Amino acid sequence: MRESGDALVLLLAGGIGSRLNLLVEHRAKPAVPFGGLYRIIDFSLSNVMNSGLTRVGVLTQYKPLSLMAHIGDGAAWDFTGRTRGIKILPPRTGKKDSDWYKGTADAIRQNIDFILANPSEQVVVLSGDHIYRMDFDAMLSYHQHKRADITIGMMVVPKCDIHQFGAGIIDNENRVVEWEEKPKVPRTNLASMGIYVFETKYLLETLARDRRENDFGMDIIPRAIREDRVYAYPFYGYWRDVGTIQSYWETNMDIIRENSGISPEEWEIRPNPEYGDRPMDRAPARFLAGCKVASSLISAGCVIEGTVINSVLSPGVRVKKGAVVTNAVIFDDGVVEERAAVDLAILDKRVQVGRGAVVGHGDNLTLANQQYPKHLYTGISLVGKEAIIPVGAQIGRNCIVQFGYSGDSFSGRNVLPDGQSA
Amino acid sequence: MILAGGRVDELGVLTHYRPKSAVPFGGFARVIDFPLSNLLHSGIERIAILSQYRSYSLINHIGTGAAWDMIGRNRGISILPPFKDYDNPHWYRGSADAVYQNLDYIQYYGPSVILILSGDHVYQMDYRRMIRYHHEHDADLTAAFIEVEPRAASRFGVAEIADDSEDGGRMLSYEEKPANPKGRWASLTVFCFRPAVLFEVLKKNQKGDSYEFGRDIIPMMMREQYKVHGYKFRGYWGYTRTIDEYWQTSMDLLGPDPKIDLEAWGIRTNLAHRNIADRQPVKIGPHGCLENSMAYNGCLIEGTVRNSILFPGVHVMAGAEINDSIIFFDNTVHAGVCLNRVVSDVNTVFNRDVRVGEPQCEKPSRVSVIGWNNSIPEGLHIGCGCRVAPRIAPEKWPKDKLEDGEELQ
Repeated sequence: MRESGDALVLLLAGGIGSRLNLLVEHRAKPAVPFGGLYRIIDFSLSNVMNSGLTRVGVLTQYKPLSLMAHIGDGAAWDFTGRTRGIKILPPRTGKKDSDWYKGTADAIRQNIDFILANPSEQVVVLSGDHIYRMDFDAMLSYHQHKRADITIGMMVVPKCDIHQFGAGIIDNENRVVEWEEKPKVPRTNLASMGIYVFETKYLLETLARDRRENDFGMDIIPRAIREDRVYAYPFYGYWRDVGTIQSYWETNMDIIRENSGISPEEWEIRPNPEYGDRPMDRAPARFLAGCKVASSLISAGCVIEGTVINSVLSPGVRVKKGAVVTNAVIFDDGVVEERAAVDLAILDKRVQVGRGAVVGHGDNLTLANQQYPKHLYTGISLVGKEAIIPVGAQIGRNCIVQFGYSGDSFSGRNVLPDGQSA
Repeated sequence: MILAGGRVDELGVLTHYRPKSAVPFGGFARVIDFPLSNLLHSGIERIAILSQYRSYSLINHIGTGAAWDMIGRNRGISILPPFKDYDNPHWYRGSADAVYQNLDYIQYYGPSVILILSGDHVYQMDYRRMIRYHHEHDADLTAAFIEVEPRAASRFGVAEIADDSEDGGRMLSYEEKPANPKGRWASLTVFCFRPAVLFEVLKKNQKGDSYEFGRDIIPMMMREQYKVHGYKFRGYWGYTRTIDEYWQTSMDLLGPDPKIDLEAWGIRTNLAHRNIADRQPVKIGPHGCLENSMAYNGCLIEGTVRNSILFPGVHVMAGAEINDSIIFFDNTVHAGVCLNRVVSDVNTVFNRDVRVGEPQCEKPSRVSVIGWNNSIPEGLHIGCGCRVAPRIAPEKWPKDKLEDGEELQ
């Protein structure tokens, strides 16, 4: 039962998340598949549901179709009913021809009508692209108890990582007394998780004050700390911003690893089982005689004849006889043909790896991708949606094979060297 | 109209708390999902389920009908339980009586044809073909049959069918469960009726004292020279009337090219029932091993599983071994356990070192079945062909062994 009243939730789901490269070519970051049958946003939506909150606005901007289809009517997270609901809030044309959201605060400002139409004491502002479990009801009670204007969810991170976050310095009452946005030289290890509780009245006032303040972390929060009551709500537990290919891959692997602290089912994370236009449900996964599967997550609808080790497979993946899949994340309906091998790779939906082909060939994990050296530098190769890897081809490390690729060979040879893109 | 009322005593402990049509089948579904999915794919969208025995599991499973796309302005599934009114003080007294009592439901919709199905079989069938046949031959009744060995036919309604065409022909004779069958076509309990005729024969049947389609209605229609046709079905037909049959039919789900192909058949179930949709993918531990098996989301496999079917939420701990078995939702199988030819109902715990069945038990009735919500004491040995009722109290378990074929109530 909810203790804290019915706060309104605004979920910021507009981020591009461009460091996820191919995975966000056709979808927003919150809609990226994760952990076999989830999408990243399922974690936030389930946390909202499990906290007993029932009214949600999802602010979208970038490639929202996949996200909108996934959310549907919100029934998967119990958001359908007379007084409950989930609404998609895209940018609208305003005074100018287009009013794209210019930042987190600007996005909220452009939806003040939604806030007014859903009266509440508090507004919870979340981001839709993190993997974690959190009880917002407890955070709201804490916020009320502190009589705060703003409460910020914060956690301790290694000092070397603090430059990616908003960082806060607190007093012994947990009141935030100083703020640094993405500081180069860390003075604290307390990082903002991008989770805010606002007094609704305060939020409306502060957004009205200066229309040039477009971002919470850059503008609104620093001023509020100087002038108003801002508290930190400490969070202890598993939390990941799966914003890079490396962290995305590691976080998937954490689900397999013993005692890593992440467990979607125990956390009561609800996926939205996607039917698409499939007229049938996914049948149980089938493991045929002679297959070998260890330390892996295998979703319904998979058929395993070959070997799968240390990998996460979404629904409907087929691993044929003699094929070997290791350290890989394979999205829905991928096919790894006979004697093919996939190692240290992420395959988007419906990729076909031809007979005897290798994705992730060789031992040189350190030669970064030439085109995107900041995205791929740890050995992980990416294969875009619906790409077809030719029979017998060899894809190296840190490679990118684009969406829909179906060439017979790579510039005449059947080899894509380390760090190259096709 | 789906006949889903029966309990069927042979399935014993699996039907203590649910009708047979709600018995789990296929690693995530229920038996009734087969006819429901067939109806969905046949485009038949107005459905009633006649249910009498312990309906809750079935009602819960059907939900709104949305899982089979049966929710909409002109679509729907209604569950019709028995009721009392001015002139009807009794339960459904048989399949024909159940339909008779709900004639007002049928008349309200005024259909051009009425399809009556059993909710108890595992098969894929496009009912449109049969209905087309029924119309083409302007039949009063078309009943579906499958060819069986004459000596295996005694348990069914058996017909002789004229060889009019590949699809079927006039029914020449019909016998209900005959000792020495004349025909070789066994009834599938799939009937296609001309509405006016159905109303007529059900009314006449009320004067008698037995109310079954197979035993009473078809023989009466044959006697009275109605136009009755047999439709020859040539696909797979799985029975689940006894535990051994249930086990055998389940085994047809396995192998590289299974006789029952859930994907190709387009089977749908209610993913909200027992929270199937909320389960994470099957998690296989570093030493888990699966061979020729099926497992649905929510399973955790750290032990060895061969030739078996695991429903959502089965935990197989390291050092446990499961062979040739069907394990329903949310069982826990601890270390040192060895299961052979077991059907285990939901929420049962096999504590450490429990053994059930023998790897090579060749006795005729060799499948052991364990009722739901049992906690089988550490080290207990249960033989082949045993039956354990649901929720056995801790003090009722035998000291160290339940002998082959024994029942524990």
